[in-house]
Amino acid sequence: MTLELSSLTGQVRVMGEELAARQRQHADLVMLAHRWLAQYADQGERLRHPARATRAAIPTDEPLNAVHPLPAIPGRFTVIAADGSQIQPDRHGAVLYHLINIGSLVYRHGSGETPEAHSEPTLGYTEADVYENGMLVAGNLLDVRRDLAEITRLADLCAVEPPGPTVALADGTLILWVLEDRSEEWRRARVMAYLDQLHRIREAGAAVAALTSRPRRAEVTRLLHLASLEGDENRASQEPNPLEHLPDRAVFEPLPPGARSALFASPSSINCDYYHPAGHGVYFYYLNLAEEGRDPVIARVEMPAWVANDPDRLALVHASLVAQARITGDYPYALARADELAFISGPEREAFEDMVTTALLRVGVRPALSPKAYYKTLTRQGRRKHRV
Amino acid sequence: MSNRNLRVGRVLRAGTRGFSIGCAVMQPDIPAFGSFVRTEGQSPGSAIYGLIYDVGVEDDLFVRQFISADAPEEVVLDQRKNRQVPIEVSVLAVGCNDGENIRHCLPMQPPVTLDWLYQCSDEEVRAFTARFDYFRLVLEAREVPADELLAASLRVAAAAQPENERETFLVEAGRELARLLAGDPVRLEGLLRRLRNV
Repeated sequence: MTLELSSLTGQVRVMGEELAARQRQHADLVMLAHRWLAQYADQGERLRHPARATRAAIPTDEPLNAVHPLPAIPGRFTVIAADGSQIQPDRHGAVLYHLINIGSLVYRHGSGETPEAHSEPTLGYTEADVYENGMLVAGNLLDVRRDLAEITRLADLCAVEPPGPTVALADGTLILWVLEDRSEEWRRARVMAYLDQLHRIREAGAAVAALTSRPRRAEVTRLLHLASLEGDENRASQEPNPLEHLPDRAVFEPLPPGARSALFASPSSINCDYYHPAGHGVYFYYLNLAEEGRDPVIARVEMPAWVANDPDRLALVHASLVAQARITGDYPYALARADELAFISGPEREAFEDMVTTALLRVGVRPALSPKAYYKTLTRQGRRKHRV
Repeated sequence: MSNRNLRVGRVLRAGTRGFSIGCAVMQPDIPAFGSFVRTEGQSPGSAIYGLIYDVGVEDDLFVRQFISADAPEEVVLDQRKNRQVPIEVSVLAVGCNDGENIRHCLPMQPPVTLDWLYQCSDEEVRAFTARFDYFRLVLEAREVPADELLAASLRVAAAAQPENERETFLVEAGRELARLLAGDPVRLEGLLRRLRNV
């Protein structure tokens, strides 16, 4: 049956009222966060240790409220972006497989050349592809494979790029998100494989960064709460944080167009346990990608230590992200194209499923959907209701 | 006009009166309005001939963002060469070939989805326009700008003739038009005026 929209009208109205009330509260919280940011701007060194213990943003040597204007944008530089998408295995489908599609764009600013666009799908169908330690490769297991494929593509493209200022750009985060219920050995192997690719990018002479659009992380606000408690980690874990639901981006909305915030180190346990010891500890800042005169568009930018600690690479990442965002208005062009090149649309998915079915029939295998999947194909074709 | 066996695109939709072709990007030598094109018929060796009467670029939200902005050259090239902006080419069917003879009539069966559409070579255009029976099919087609299309096709056909035969070709075409449009002198005058500009 279809969604009963009439049953939702009351709930939607209440939701609207609730959101309006929350927005009024939000303004008060933002003011509090701004006050704390200014008040504790020079407390970074004192807060560094307790921040690590409370999983708050870890301050660097920069004042917490530092504002770095847009550096000079080089005349010629290259941005290489990669993104991925996947088809999850369907246990009700005709056959068990997964597919990872990686899109990438090599954009050479100031060259007048056509950017290089690639889209490379990889099909996983063998026993070794489809199962890992007896578990079906789906969900987080498949996400990890896609993330590895994305960073490997970036490293491959950086390795063949002619010398010159180059930025490899990923969507989201540089921290490989592996579930903690996996064994230590398994997690280490995956993370090390990811770090190997960061190492290759560094060896190729490029910088690397990851960008999150409209980030929801609340690590700097956690740091501000900690600062308001004089860095007492015990009190911070016990006393309610009034900024708990305020995302960091709200704190940095006053950044001028093109400017970035102070650098912070990521408090993620994977970052502390694996990335930092390998020399790839992840740092981040917030960046206003909006054009002059527009509402702020705050993005979170992550980069490894060897970029954060190298003024030239740090400035190159900053300038190149803003230059890319100015093409579209507020989001890096190369990332938008990489996403487009990776995206698997509904009709493409169906066409691929038809290809698989045909290939199986040619070799005498008669694929069959599960009864549940079969009836879904019947009931989801069209609804016997008026269109709304 | 090119003599190559140039592929225009693949058939998207087809009917007896005409068909639509999809192609990814507009190439400089992709046939334009009034060009003669050919697709394979259902039986071996057969072909269906048509005239391109419309070339449309499909809407694309992403490219719209760069219309008002001063997009860098790299973006313009990326949008033109890498992104598959869909272009639809509409074709009016004007004849067929059973493998031996060209006939100016609607095809018995339309082409099949994903069949290739080719630009006709100069030799094919000369063979097809050796007679002018297809004029009537164009003049009676309601869904196309018939007079413009016929004039454009005659410009293409004249260019495919040897240089010293072009004028004779156009004069003969004009005579045929005068015969067909004897009852509609205003329309005839408009068409002949267009032909004089060839």
